[in-house]
Amino acid sequence: MARRANSPLASCDCCTPASADNPLPTGTITVALAGQPNVGKTTVFNLLTGLSQHVGNWPGKTVEQKTGFYACDGWTMRIVDLPGTYSLTANSVEEQVARDFIIRERPDVVVVIVDAATLERNLYLLAELLHLPARVILGLNMVDVAEQQGLHIEPHVLQAALGIPVVPMVASRNQGICELVRTIVGLVRGEIPYAPRRPEIREDHQQVLASLEEIVGPYVPSPYPADWVSLKLLEGDSEITRLVQERMPQEAWEQIQSILHRHEDAVLAVAGGRYDWIGRMVRAAVARPRAGHITLTERVDRIATHPFWGLVLLGAVLAVAFWLTYAVALPIQRWLGSVVVQGIAEQVGRWLAPAPGWLSGLIIEGIIGGVGSMLTFAPILTLFFATMGFLEDVGYMARAAYVMDRFMHLLGLHGKSFLPLFLGFGCNVPAVMGTRIIEERRARLLTILLAPLVPCPARMAVVAVLAPAFFGTRAPWVSGGLVFLSLFALALSGALLNWILFRGERAAFIMELPLYHIPNLRTIGLLVWQRLLAFLRKAGTVILAVSIVVWALSHFPGGTIEESLLGRLGRWLSPVGAWMGFDWRMIVALLTSFIAKENAVATLAVLYGAGRESLPALLRASVSPASGLAFLVATMLFIPCVATFTVMRQETGSWKWTLIGTGFLLLLSLAAAALVFQLARLLGGA
Amino acid sequence: MLERLMSLLREGKTRTVPELARELGVTPTLVEMMLEELASRGFLYALQGSCAGHCEGCPLQNACAAGGTRIWSISFAPPDGGEGRTGK
Repeated sequence: MARRANSPLASCDCCTPASADNPLPTGTITVALAGQPNVGKTTVFNLLTGLSQHVGNWPGKTVEQKTGFYACDGWTMRIVDLPGTYSLTANSVEEQVARDFIIRERPDVVVVIVDAATLERNLYLLAELLHLPARVILGLNMVDVAEQQGLHIEPHVLQAALGIPVVPMVASRNQGICELVRTIVGLVRGEIPYAPRRPEIREDHQQVLASLEEIVGPYVPSPYPADWVSLKLLEGDSEITRLVQERMPQEAWEQIQSILHRHEDAVLAVAGGRYDWIGRMVRAAVARPRAGHITLTERVDRIATHPFWGLVLLGAVLAVAFWLTYAVALPIQRWLGSVVVQGIAEQVGRWLAPAPGWLSGLIIEGIIGGVGSMLTFAPILTLFFATMGFLEDVGYMARAAYVMDRFMHLLGLHGKSFLPLFLGFGCNVPAVMGTRIIEERRARLLTILLAPLVPCPARMAVVAVLAPAFFGTRAPWVSGGLVFLSLFALALSGALLNWILFRGERAAFIMELPLYHIPNLRTIGLLVWQRLLAFLRKAGTVILAVSIVVWALSHFPGGTIEESLLGRLGRWLSPVGAWMGFDWRMIVALLTSFIAKENAVATLAVLYGAGRESLPALLRASVSPASGLAFLVATMLFIPCVATFTVMRQETGSWKWTLIGTGFLLLLSLAAAALVFQLARLLGGA
Repeated sequence: MLERLMSLLREGKTRTVPELARELGVTPTLVEMMLEELASRGFLYALQGSCAGHCEGCPLQNACAAGGTRIWSISFAPPDGGEGRTGK
């Protein structure tokens, strides 16, 4: 009992006192503690070694080495704390240190401490350890946490399945440590059976392994086991490959390479064997392997990600989002427009009565009309941001995107063009950047051209603002219809693209969807506030500047809108606009929307003389529903924002292609607008 | 198991982790572990959508990349030209 005084276990009844039947001393045992980081390995080490610890570095490495001693039943245990590792490949210094120690020092026992709550992840290390020349004990730590999470592990069943000793523990409460010590001693004395069931590989690969071992065997340096070296060669382990290659004659090495080349899939078989083994162990010993909230997520996902019901749910969610936005915000918008903005405009008009005409025009029509009208739509944006924020926070947005994938599949759009388009539902910028996964330049360029057709939330927000300006209470229907039109345009062009360019090409995507959770009102509130702030900042800068420029261009020279520069340009463009039912003011509004989508509203407000009257009233008086709808279609399909344009330039690397892309989207949006206008006119909307 | 997972992925569909887990008869955690291993060996690669600072000033810039979903894609030829065999 030489050094027990140093250990906090001194008062524990772990070890039997010396007697005639139990002579002392017997010898020294080396015990290595292995495990992943944060599984309580250090707690176990501290409990066992107490003040007898020695801290240094592993020879030639910057990794910390901790050694300590514990005495029991006449055995002195030298306990070595191996670095925390997830596996035993040669990927990191820690992993190399851990496996080299076991191979070179040959500890009598390796205790692998695992976190019972994440047993599956922890078993991977054990699967690798069992191939090394050492007797292994599984220290099943944190069983209390696992129980709290609804995971019930049967240590005896696990022990029978693994064929190695399993000790349940709660190291943080000093539970199971004595049992662990007794198991170590019992295993060394040969009193505990040890017949590990190791992960297996398929029979055909076992033959490959045997032939590798036959060639490699004579060149494997001591103390490496030849079977383990062969296994690692088959897995493509870089360190072992180098080790063997250095010691082998060229001819034998070429033989090895030829075998490895013929059996490239063996790497999957070797690693796959470990997962089969983990799956079997977990199935045998773990009851209710899923925690409650995952089951809830899965249950909800059965509908939310269902090929048909998922789409129905998405449609319903969008409809409710738009309906809620308009039902609450539209009355406030009207009040702001007709009472607040008009009131301010009239008051300012009275103050500016003695000032020159151009100054009151600039302030009332240019600034109050343009920016003020835009600001009356802030309640609509607030509600829209809030509903989107709610859906994001709950975890639904990722599902919505996943359901869109099913929809795109239905229309024949899949393959590598899927991912960029999928990312586009969040924002068109990553969509354009996501085309990098497409190697072929032609296919990549075409996907870049299509990416802006994906309706991103920012564009939906603009539609949410524009639709009520033209359509008032019918806006929810129009907004919903526009989103679906945009998706239809995307699917049609995407399917065509796929048919021409990606025929027969496959691409698989796996999505890790976040868990659903109860929305946090503070998070959503903060999100809405940040987004509203960004919008207000834009209104005070870009929209204000564009409003002033548009007002100036529509006022000078001549003082009237008809004689102004913009008026002349507009008249020149009006034959084009006639196709879509646009008057020249709508064409100018569409052009200014390129700088920021919201400019469309501000420009319309300036050019239609809003300020003294509310914009929706003016628009409904002078723009037919068919023209209004065509305008919204053009806005929806045109390039979403300057950021997307900049990234298109960056990713195509050429101005030519960026301009071709912009031209294509402009043409497509105008053609769609013309088609919608002509159809709506036929149906009596003009 | 990995070979079965790879052959499922080679069908070229888009799937979620729970779907793959159901098809393989294992837990989603095990599927995630296998995806990470396949990625570390160069058979899959993780895709991350990002605005990389281009969306400054966009009120909805946080909506980027579909709500923080992690997406994996299959490399029909290992992207590093066969380096996948080295284990990293």
